[in-house]
Amino acid sequence: MNFTFTPDQVAMRKTIVDFARQELNPGAAERDRQSLFSRQLWDKCAAMHLLALPFPEQYGGDGFDFVTTVAVYHALGYACKDAGLLHALTAQLICGLQIVLFASDEQKAALLPDLAAGRLIYAQAMTEPGSGSDAFAMHTSAQKTESGYLLNGAKTMISNAPVADRVLLFAVSDSEKKAFGGISCFIVARDAAGFSAGKAMDKLGLRTLTNGELVFSDCQVPASALIGRAGQGAMLFTEAMEWERTLIPACLLGEQERILEESVRYARERRAFGQSIGEFQAVAHKLARMKMNAELGALALYSAAALKDQHKRAALETSTAKLFISESLKQAALDAVQLRGGYGYMTEYEAERELRDSIASTLYSGTSEMQLNLIARLTGV
Amino acid sequence: MDTKNAIRDFITHEMLRHALETPLGDDDQLVESGIIDSLGVMTLLSFLEERYALQISGDDLIPDNFSSISSIASLVEMRRTS
Repeated sequence: MNFTFTPDQVAMRKTIVDFARQELNPGAAERDRQSLFSRQLWDKCAAMHLLALPFPEQYGGDGFDFVTTVAVYHALGYACKDAGLLHALTAQLICGLQIVLFASDEQKAALLPDLAAGRLIYAQAMTEPGSGSDAFAMHTSAQKTESGYLLNGAKTMISNAPVADRVLLFAVSDSEKKAFGGISCFIVARDAAGFSAGKAMDKLGLRTLTNGELVFSDCQVPASALIGRAGQGAMLFTEAMEWERTLIPACLLGEQERILEESVRYARERRAFGQSIGEFQAVAHKLARMKMNAELGALALYSAAALKDQHKRAALETSTAKLFISESLKQAALDAVQLRGGYGYMTEYEAERELRDSIASTLYSGTSEMQLNLIARLTGV
Repeated sequence: MDTKNAIRDFITHEMLRHALETPLGDDDQLVESGIIDSLGVMTLLSFLEERYALQISGDDLIPDNFSSISSIASLVEMRRTS
Protein backbone atom coordinates (compact mmCIF):
# COMPACT_ATOMS: atom_id res chain seq x y z
CA MET A 1 0.00 0.00 0.00
CA ASN A 2 1.52 3.29 -1.11
CA PHE A 3 -0.23 6.64 -0.67
CA THR A 4 2.22 8.84 -2.59
CA PHE A 5 2.41 9.87 -6.23
CA THR A 6 5.44 8.79 -8.22
CA PRO A 7 7.93 11.51 -9.27
CA ASP A 8 6.55 11.31 -12.82
CA GLN A 9 2.98 11.75 -11.57
CA VAL A 10 4.05 14.72 -9.45
CA ALA A 11 5.71 16.32 -12.47
CA MET A 12 2.68 15.70 -14.69
CA ARG A 13 0.36 17.19 -12.10
CA LYS A 14 2.48 20.33 -11.85
CA THR A 15 2.54 20.70 -15.62
CA ILE A 16 -1.24 20.36 -15.77
CA VAL A 17 -1.80 22.86 -12.96
CA ASP A 18 0.37 25.44 -14.71
CA PHE A 19 -1.32 24.72 -18.04
CA ALA A 20 -4.84 25.07 -16.64
CA ARG A 21 -4.07 28.32 -14.84
CA GLN A 22 -2.40 29.90 -17.83
CA GLU A 23 -4.47 28.56 -20.69
CA LEU A 24 -7.90 27.46 -19.44
CA ASN A 25 -8.87 29.89 -16.69
CA PRO A 26 -8.72 33.25 -18.47
CA GLY A 27 -12.26 34.14 -19.56
CA ALA A 28 -13.92 31.27 -17.68
CA ALA A 29 -16.50 33.55 -16.05
CA GLU A 30 -17.42 35.15 -19.36
CA ARG A 31 -17.73 31.78 -21.09
CA ASP A 32 -20.04 30.71 -18.28
CA ARG A 33 -22.20 33.81 -18.77
CA GLN A 34 -22.42 33.10 -22.49
CA SER A 35 -22.81 29.31 -22.10
CA LEU A 36 -19.88 29.01 -24.46
CA PHE A 37 -18.07 25.76 -25.18
CA SER A 38 -14.60 26.67 -26.47
CA ARG A 39 -13.32 24.44 -29.25
CA GLN A 40 -10.06 26.35 -29.04
CA LEU A 41 -9.56 25.29 -25.40
CA TRP A 42 -10.62 21.75 -26.27
CA ASP A 43 -7.87 21.69 -28.88
CA LYS A 44 -5.36 23.01 -26.35
CA CYS A 45 -6.31 20.23 -23.96
CA ALA A 46 -5.94 17.72 -26.76
CA ALA A 47 -2.50 19.12 -27.57
CA MET A 48 -1.59 18.51 -23.91
CA HIS A 49 -2.59 14.84 -24.48
CA LEU A 50 -5.41 15.11 -21.94
CA LEU A 51 -7.59 13.03 -24.27
CA ALA A 52 -4.94 10.40 -24.92
CA LEU A 53 -3.70 9.45 -21.46
CA PRO A 54 -5.25 6.00 -20.85
CA PHE A 55 -5.41 4.65 -24.39
CA PRO A 56 -3.00 2.15 -25.94
CA GLU A 57 -0.08 3.71 -27.77
CA GLN A 58 -0.80 1.68 -30.90
CA TYR A 59 -4.07 3.62 -31.25
CA GLY A 60 -2.63 7.08 -30.63
CA GLY A 61 -2.84 7.02 -26.85
CA ASP A 62 -0.18 7.55 -24.21
CA GLY A 63 -0.60 4.18 -22.52
CA PHE A 64 -0.72 5.51 -18.97
CA ASP A 65 -2.30 3.46 -16.21
CA PHE A 66 -5.65 4.55 -14.84
CA VAL A 67 -4.29 5.83 -11.53
CA THR A 68 -2.05 8.24 -13.46
CA THR A 69 -4.97 9.34 -15.59
CA VAL A 70 -7.03 9.93 -12.46
CA ALA A 71 -4.13 11.82 -10.84
CA VAL A 72 -3.88 14.12 -13.86
CA TYR A 73 -7.63 14.83 -13.92
CA HIS A 74 -7.52 15.36 -10.16
CA ALA A 75 -4.90 18.07 -10.76
CA LEU A 76 -6.91 19.45 -13.66
CA GLY A 77 -10.00 19.71 -11.45
CA TYR A 78 -7.95 21.54 -8.84
CA ALA A 79 -6.50 24.09 -11.23
CA CYS A 80 -9.11 24.51 -13.95
CA LYS A 81 -12.03 26.80 -13.16
CA ASP A 82 -13.99 25.76 -16.25
CA ALA A 83 -15.89 22.78 -14.85
CA GLY A 84 -17.99 22.42 -17.99
CA LEU A 85 -14.91 21.94 -20.14
CA LEU A 86 -13.62 19.30 -17.73
CA HIS A 87 -16.88 17.40 -18.01
CA ALA A 88 -16.68 17.54 -21.81
CA LEU A 89 -13.18 16.04 -21.66
CA THR A 90 -14.17 13.23 -19.30
CA ALA A 91 -17.18 12.37 -21.49
CA GLN A 92 -14.75 11.86 -24.36
CA LEU A 93 -12.47 9.63 -22.29
CA ILE A 94 -15.36 7.46 -21.14
CA CYS A 95 -16.40 6.89 -24.76
CA GLY A 96 -12.82 5.95 -25.57
CA LEU A 97 -12.57 3.51 -22.68
CA GLN A 98 -15.70 1.72 -23.86
CA ILE A 99 -14.16 1.39 -27.31
CA VAL A 100 -10.94 0.05 -25.80
CA LEU A 101 -12.80 -2.49 -23.69
CA PHE A 102 -15.39 -3.74 -26.16
CA ALA A 103 -14.73 -2.70 -29.77
CA SER A 104 -13.01 -4.89 -32.36
CA ASP A 105 -9.38 -4.25 -33.29
CA GLU A 106 -10.57 -2.76 -36.59
CA GLN A 107 -12.92 -0.40 -34.79
CA LYS A 108 -10.22 0.63 -32.33
CA ALA A 109 -7.85 1.38 -35.17
CA ALA A 110 -10.52 3.37 -36.99
CA LEU A 111 -11.91 5.31 -34.02
CA LEU A 112 -9.35 5.79 -31.28
CA PRO A 113 -6.68 7.90 -33.04
CA ASP A 114 -9.13 10.73 -33.81
CA LEU A 115 -10.69 10.42 -30.36
CA ALA A 116 -7.38 10.47 -28.49
CA ALA A 117 -6.15 13.43 -30.54
CA GLY A 118 -9.40 15.32 -29.93
CA ARG A 119 -9.93 15.77 -33.67
CA LEU A 120 -13.42 14.35 -33.30
CA ILE A 121 -15.68 14.98 -30.32
CA TYR A 122 -17.62 12.08 -28.84
CA ALA A 123 -20.85 11.84 -26.88
CA GLN A 124 -22.39 8.90 -25.06
CA ALA A 125 -26.15 8.73 -25.60
CA MET A 126 -28.12 6.90 -22.93
CA THR A 127 -30.68 9.19 -21.27
CA GLU A 128 -34.09 9.59 -22.90
CA PRO A 129 -37.01 11.89 -22.13
CA GLY A 130 -38.75 9.04 -20.33
CA SER A 131 -35.78 7.23 -18.83
CA GLY A 132 -33.09 8.80 -16.66
CA SER A 133 -32.20 6.83 -13.54
CA ASP A 134 -34.12 3.87 -14.99
CA ALA A 135 -31.72 4.00 -17.91
CA PHE A 136 -32.44 0.58 -19.38
CA ALA A 137 -36.14 1.45 -19.78
CA MET A 138 -35.14 3.22 -22.99
CA HIS A 139 -37.28 3.22 -26.14
CA THR A 140 -34.78 4.08 -28.85
CA SER A 141 -34.74 1.06 -31.12
CA ALA A 142 -32.18 -0.62 -33.35
CA GLN A 143 -33.96 -2.83 -35.84
CA LYS A 144 -31.79 -5.39 -37.62
CA THR A 145 -31.83 -4.97 -41.39
CA GLU A 146 -30.07 -6.72 -44.26
CA SER A 147 -27.29 -4.15 -44.29
CA GLY A 148 -27.06 -3.29 -40.60
CA TYR A 149 -29.41 -1.55 -38.17
CA LEU A 150 -32.20 1.01 -38.47
CA LEU A 151 -32.16 3.45 -35.55
CA ASN A 152 -35.22 5.30 -34.30
CA GLY A 153 -35.75 7.34 -31.16
CA ALA A 154 -34.53 10.34 -29.22
CA LYS A 155 -31.98 10.98 -26.49
CA THR A 156 -31.86 14.05 -24.29
CA MET A 157 -29.51 16.01 -22.01
CA ILE A 158 -26.57 14.27 -23.65
CA SER A 159 -23.20 15.81 -22.78
CA ASN A 160 -21.31 17.07 -25.86
CA ALA A 161 -24.32 16.28 -28.08
CA PRO A 162 -24.56 19.66 -29.86
CA VAL A 163 -20.87 19.57 -30.81
CA ALA A 164 -20.35 15.81 -31.19
CA ASP A 165 -18.89 14.31 -34.34
CA ARG A 166 -19.52 10.75 -33.16
CA VAL A 167 -22.08 9.27 -30.78
CA LEU A 168 -21.99 6.05 -28.79
CA LEU A 169 -25.68 5.22 -28.89
CA PHE A 170 -27.45 2.70 -26.68
CA ALA A 171 -30.63 1.27 -28.20
CA VAL A 172 -33.01 -1.66 -27.82
CA SER A 173 -32.00 -4.26 -30.37
CA ASP A 174 -34.19 -7.08 -29.06
CA SER A 175 -37.39 -6.00 -27.35
CA GLU A 176 -38.21 -9.60 -26.43
CA LYS A 177 -35.30 -9.73 -24.04
CA LYS A 178 -34.76 -7.90 -20.79
CA ALA A 179 -32.25 -5.04 -20.63
CA PHE A 180 -29.43 -7.51 -20.15
CA GLY A 181 -29.33 -8.99 -23.63
CA GLY A 182 -31.80 -6.66 -25.30
CA ILE A 183 -29.71 -3.49 -25.56
CA SER A 184 -26.81 -2.87 -27.93
CA CYS A 185 -24.30 -0.09 -28.46
CA PHE A 186 -23.61 1.60 -31.80
CA ILE A 187 -21.22 4.20 -33.14
CA VAL A 188 -23.05 6.82 -35.19
CA ALA A 189 -21.40 9.56 -37.25
CA ARG A 190 -22.79 13.08 -37.21
CA ASP A 191 -23.39 13.06 -40.95
CA ALA A 192 -25.40 9.83 -40.92
CA ALA A 193 -28.70 10.23 -42.76
CA GLY A 194 -31.59 10.44 -40.32
CA PHE A 195 -29.45 11.64 -37.43
CA SER A 196 -29.72 15.16 -36.08
CA ALA A 197 -28.56 17.02 -32.99
CA GLY A 198 -30.50 19.79 -31.29
CA LYS A 199 -29.25 23.05 -29.84
CA ALA A 200 -27.48 23.25 -26.50
CA MET A 201 -29.92 23.27 -23.58
CA ASP A 202 -29.72 26.14 -21.07
CA LYS A 203 -28.66 25.00 -17.62
CA LEU A 204 -28.15 26.13 -14.02
CA GLY A 205 -24.44 25.24 -14.01
CA LEU A 206 -21.75 23.61 -16.12
CA ARG A 207 -22.79 26.14 -18.71
CA THR A 208 -19.64 25.71 -20.80
CA LEU A 209 -20.56 22.07 -21.32
CA THR A 210 -23.05 21.59 -24.12
CA ASN A 211 -25.96 19.24 -23.44
CA GLY A 212 -28.66 18.52 -25.93
CA GLU A 213 -31.05 16.26 -27.75
CA LEU A 214 -30.18 13.67 -30.38
CA VAL A 215 -32.82 12.42 -32.79
CA PHE A 216 -32.62 9.23 -34.85
CA SER A 217 -35.25 8.99 -37.54
CA ASP A 218 -34.87 5.93 -39.77
CA CYS A 219 -31.13 6.32 -39.36
CA GLN A 220 -29.48 3.42 -41.17
CA VAL A 221 -26.08 2.36 -39.89
CA PRO A 222 -23.94 -0.54 -41.17
CA ALA A 223 -23.45 -3.75 -39.18
CA SER A 224 -19.92 -2.55 -38.46
CA ALA A 225 -21.41 0.24 -36.31
CA LEU A 226 -22.16 -2.27 -33.58
CA ILE A 227 -19.73 -1.88 -30.65
CA GLY A 228 -19.15 -5.17 -28.91
CA ARG A 229 -21.71 -7.84 -29.61
CA ALA A 230 -25.46 -7.63 -30.06
CA GLY A 231 -27.15 -7.54 -26.68
CA GLN A 232 -23.99 -6.49 -24.86
CA GLY A 233 -25.07 -2.88 -24.35
CA ALA A 234 -26.18 -3.10 -20.71
CA MET A 235 -22.99 -4.92 -19.83
CA LEU A 236 -20.91 -2.37 -21.65
CA PHE A 237 -22.69 0.53 -19.95
CA THR A 238 -22.42 -1.02 -16.50
CA GLU A 239 -18.70 -1.55 -16.98
CA ALA A 240 -18.29 2.01 -18.30
CA MET A 241 -19.95 3.41 -15.21
CA GLU A 242 -17.15 2.06 -13.02
CA TRP A 243 -14.59 4.05 -15.00
CA GLU A 244 -16.81 7.13 -15.22
CA ARG A 245 -17.53 7.10 -11.49
CA THR A 246 -13.81 7.30 -10.86
CA LEU A 247 -12.69 9.73 -13.55
CA ILE A 248 -15.37 12.38 -12.99
CA PRO A 249 -14.92 12.38 -9.19
CA ALA A 250 -11.21 12.97 -9.79
CA CYS A 251 -12.13 16.39 -11.21
CA LEU A 252 -14.69 16.97 -8.47
CA LEU A 253 -12.15 16.21 -5.75
CA GLY A 254 -9.73 18.70 -7.30
CA GLU A 255 -12.45 21.36 -7.35
CA GLN A 256 -13.20 20.62 -3.72
CA GLU A 257 -9.55 21.08 -2.79
CA ARG A 258 -9.45 24.42 -4.61
CA ILE A 259 -12.59 25.59 -2.81
CA LEU A 260 -11.01 24.57 0.49
CA GLU A 261 -7.76 26.37 -0.27
CA GLU A 262 -9.54 29.56 -1.34
CA SER A 263 -11.90 29.41 1.62
CA VAL A 264 -9.03 29.04 4.09
CA ARG A 265 -7.30 32.03 2.49
CA TYR A 266 -10.49 34.07 2.70
CA ALA A 267 -11.10 33.05 6.31
CA ARG A 268 -7.61 34.21 7.25
CA GLU A 269 -7.84 37.55 5.44
CA ARG A 270 -11.44 38.59 6.06
CA ARG A 271 -11.85 40.33 9.39
CA ALA A 272 -14.95 40.93 11.48
CA PHE A 273 -15.44 41.96 15.09
CA GLY A 274 -11.72 42.62 15.39
CA GLN A 275 -10.41 39.25 14.24
CA SER A 276 -10.11 37.08 11.17
CA ILE A 277 -13.34 35.18 10.57
CA GLY A 278 -11.41 31.90 10.62
CA GLU A 279 -10.94 32.40 14.34
CA PHE A 280 -14.68 31.95 14.81
CA GLN A 281 -15.40 28.33 15.50
CA ALA A 282 -18.48 28.34 13.26
CA VAL A 283 -16.24 29.13 10.28
CA ALA A 284 -13.31 26.96 11.36
CA HIS A 285 -15.53 23.89 11.68
CA LYS A 286 -16.84 24.34 8.14
CA LEU A 287 -13.26 24.37 6.88
CA ALA A 288 -12.30 21.40 9.04
CA ARG A 289 -15.15 19.38 7.52
CA MET A 290 -14.07 20.39 4.02
CA LYS A 291 -10.55 19.19 4.76
CA MET A 292 -11.75 15.92 6.29
CA ASN A 293 -14.02 15.23 3.31
CA ALA A 294 -11.23 15.99 0.83
CA GLU A 295 -8.87 13.58 2.58
CA LEU A 296 -11.45 10.80 2.77
CA GLY A 297 -12.53 11.45 -0.80
CA ALA A 298 -8.95 10.99 -2.00
CA LEU A 299 -8.72 7.62 -0.28
CA ALA A 300 -11.99 6.47 -1.85
CA LEU A 301 -10.98 7.79 -5.27
CA TYR A 302 -7.54 6.22 -5.52
CA SER A 303 -8.56 2.89 -4.03
CA ALA A 304 -11.25 2.66 -6.73
CA ALA A 305 -8.80 3.72 -9.46
CA ALA A 306 -6.23 1.17 -8.28
CA LEU A 307 -8.83 -1.60 -8.48
CA LYS A 308 -9.60 -0.69 -12.08
CA ASP A 309 -5.89 -0.74 -12.89
CA GLN A 310 -5.79 -4.27 -11.50
CA HIS A 311 -8.70 -5.20 -13.82
CA LYS A 312 -10.89 -5.89 -10.82
CA ARG A 313 -14.59 -5.20 -10.42
CA ALA A 314 -15.17 -2.01 -8.49
CA ALA A 315 -18.87 -1.20 -8.72
CA LEU A 316 -19.13 -0.74 -4.96
CA GLU A 317 -15.95 1.29 -4.61
CA THR A 318 -16.65 3.56 -7.59
CA SER A 319 -20.23 4.28 -6.53
CA THR A 320 -18.97 5.04 -3.03
CA ALA A 321 -16.31 7.42 -4.34
CA LYS A 322 -18.73 9.14 -6.70
CA LEU A 323 -21.40 9.59 -4.05
CA PHE A 324 -19.08 10.78 -1.31
CA ILE A 325 -17.02 13.18 -3.42
CA SER A 326 -19.97 14.74 -5.27
CA GLU A 327 -21.97 15.31 -2.09
CA SER A 328 -18.86 16.65 -0.33
CA LEU A 329 -18.19 19.03 -3.21
CA LYS A 330 -21.75 20.36 -3.16
CA GLN A 331 -21.55 20.94 0.59
CA ALA A 332 -18.13 22.58 0.28
CA ALA A 333 -19.39 24.89 -2.46
CA LEU A 334 -22.41 25.84 -0.36
CA ASP A 335 -20.24 26.46 2.71
CA ALA A 336 -17.87 28.57 0.61
CA VAL A 337 -20.77 30.84 -0.34
CA GLN A 338 -22.03 30.97 3.24
CA LEU A 339 -18.72 31.98 4.78
CA ARG A 340 -18.31 34.78 2.22
CA GLY A 341 -21.73 36.19 3.06
CA GLY A 342 -23.06 38.58 0.41
CA TYR A 343 -19.85 38.38 -1.59
CA GLY A 344 -20.41 34.67 -2.02
CA TYR A 345 -23.77 35.35 -3.62
CA MET A 346 -22.46 37.83 -6.18
CA THR A 347 -21.70 36.58 -9.68
CA GLU A 348 -18.60 38.77 -9.66
CA TYR A 349 -16.91 36.19 -7.45
CA GLU A 350 -16.33 32.53 -8.21
CA ALA A 351 -18.03 30.87 -5.26
CA GLU A 352 -21.43 31.38 -6.84
CA ARG A 353 -20.40 29.67 -10.08
CA GLU A 354 -18.73 26.81 -8.23
CA LEU A 355 -21.93 26.19 -6.30
CA ARG A 356 -24.03 26.15 -9.49
CA ASP A 357 -21.53 23.82 -11.16
CA SER A 358 -21.40 21.47 -8.16
CA ILE A 359 -25.12 20.69 -8.12
CA ALA A 360 -25.02 18.64 -11.32
CA SER A 361 -22.41 16.31 -9.82
CA THR A 362 -25.04 14.69 -7.60
CA LEU A 363 -27.31 14.16 -10.63
CA TYR A 364 -25.23 12.92 -13.57
CA SER A 365 -23.60 9.49 -13.81
CA GLY A 366 -26.29 8.23 -11.43
CA THR A 367 -27.99 10.44 -8.88
CA SER A 368 -26.93 10.23 -5.25
CA GLU A 369 -30.10 8.28 -4.55
CA MET A 370 -29.19 5.72 -7.23
CA GLN A 371 -25.67 5.43 -5.84
CA LEU A 372 -27.13 4.63 -2.43
CA ASN A 373 -29.36 1.99 -4.00
CA LEU A 374 -26.35 0.44 -5.74
CA ILE A 375 -24.20 0.53 -2.62
CA ALA A 376 -26.98 -1.08 -0.60
CA ARG A 377 -27.41 -3.84 -3.15
CA LEU A 378 -23.68 -4.45 -3.48
CA THR A 379 -23.41 -4.58 0.29
CA GLY A 380 -25.84 -7.45 0.26
CA VAL A 381 -28.96 -5.65 1.47
CA MET B 1 -16.96 -27.79 -3.94
CA ASP B 2 -17.12 -28.14 -7.74
CA THR B 3 -17.54 -25.11 -10.00
CA LYS B 4 -21.27 -25.48 -10.59
CA ASN B 5 -22.05 -25.86 -6.93
CA ALA B 6 -19.81 -22.96 -6.00
CA ILE B 7 -21.65 -20.76 -8.51
CA ARG B 8 -25.02 -22.03 -7.34
CA ASP B 9 -24.06 -21.35 -3.74
CA PHE B 10 -22.92 -17.79 -4.51
CA ILE B 11 -26.02 -16.90 -6.52
CA THR B 12 -28.35 -18.41 -3.96
CA HIS B 13 -26.78 -16.92 -0.86
CA GLU B 14 -25.13 -13.71 -2.07
CA MET B 15 -27.21 -12.47 -4.99
CA LEU B 16 -30.80 -13.54 -4.54
CA ARG B 17 -32.95 -11.30 -2.45
CA HIS B 18 -35.67 -13.87 -1.94
CA ALA B 19 -35.48 -17.48 -0.85
CA LEU B 20 -36.15 -20.02 -3.59
CA GLU B 21 -38.79 -22.70 -3.17
CA THR B 22 -36.61 -25.14 -5.09
CA PRO B 23 -32.84 -25.07 -5.51
CA LEU B 24 -31.45 -23.58 -8.73
CA GLY B 25 -30.93 -26.19 -11.41
CA ASP B 26 -27.87 -26.30 -13.66
CA ASP B 27 -29.88 -25.18 -16.67
CA ASP B 28 -32.40 -22.85 -15.06
CA GLN B 29 -32.52 -19.60 -17.02
CA LEU B 30 -30.90 -16.91 -14.89
CA VAL B 31 -31.13 -13.94 -17.26
CA GLU B 32 -34.59 -14.60 -18.65
CA SER B 33 -35.98 -15.09 -15.18
CA GLY B 34 -34.39 -11.88 -13.94
CA ILE B 35 -32.19 -13.61 -11.35
CA ILE B 36 -29.15 -12.02 -13.00
CA ASP B 37 -29.00 -8.55 -14.54
CA SER B 38 -26.05 -6.47 -15.69
CA LEU B 39 -25.11 -5.37 -12.17
CA GLY B 40 -25.61 -8.91 -10.94
CA VAL B 41 -23.11 -10.09 -13.51
CA MET B 42 -20.57 -7.63 -12.12
CA THR B 43 -21.10 -9.05 -8.65
CA LEU B 44 -20.80 -12.57 -9.96
CA LEU B 45 -17.67 -11.67 -11.92
CA SER B 46 -15.99 -10.35 -8.79
CA PHE B 47 -16.62 -13.70 -7.17
CA LEU B 48 -15.48 -15.80 -10.14
CA GLU B 49 -12.37 -13.76 -10.86
CA GLU B 50 -11.22 -13.84 -7.27
CA ARG B 51 -12.07 -17.47 -6.52
CA TYR B 52 -10.59 -18.88 -9.72
CA ALA B 53 -7.87 -16.26 -10.29
CA LEU B 54 -8.94 -15.45 -13.83
CA GLN B 55 -10.13 -12.50 -15.88
CA ILE B 56 -13.35 -12.34 -17.80
CA SER B 57 -13.81 -9.33 -20.07
CA GLY B 58 -14.65 -8.05 -23.54
CA ASP B 59 -16.26 -10.67 -25.75
CA ASP B 60 -16.95 -12.95 -22.80
CA LEU B 61 -19.32 -10.41 -21.26
CA ILE B 62 -22.41 -11.48 -23.14
CA PRO B 63 -25.73 -12.67 -21.74
CA ASP B 64 -25.38 -16.16 -23.24
CA ASN B 65 -22.37 -16.84 -21.02
CA PHE B 66 -24.43 -16.07 -17.94
CA SER B 67 -27.74 -17.61 -18.95
CA SER B 68 -27.45 -20.62 -16.62
CA ILE B 69 -25.18 -22.17 -14.01
CA SER B 70 -23.96 -24.58 -16.68
CA SER B 71 -22.99 -21.80 -19.09
CA ILE B 72 -21.22 -19.84 -16.35
CA ALA B 73 -19.30 -22.96 -15.31
CA SER B 74 -18.34 -23.57 -18.95
CA LEU B 75 -17.05 -20.02 -19.23
CA VAL B 76 -14.98 -20.47 -16.07
CA GLU B 77 -13.50 -23.73 -17.31
CA MET B 78 -12.72 -22.19 -20.69
CA ARG B 79 -10.91 -19.24 -19.09
CA ARG B 80 -9.06 -21.49 -16.64
CA THR B 81 -7.65 -23.56 -19.44
CA SER B 82 -6.89 -20.71 -21.85
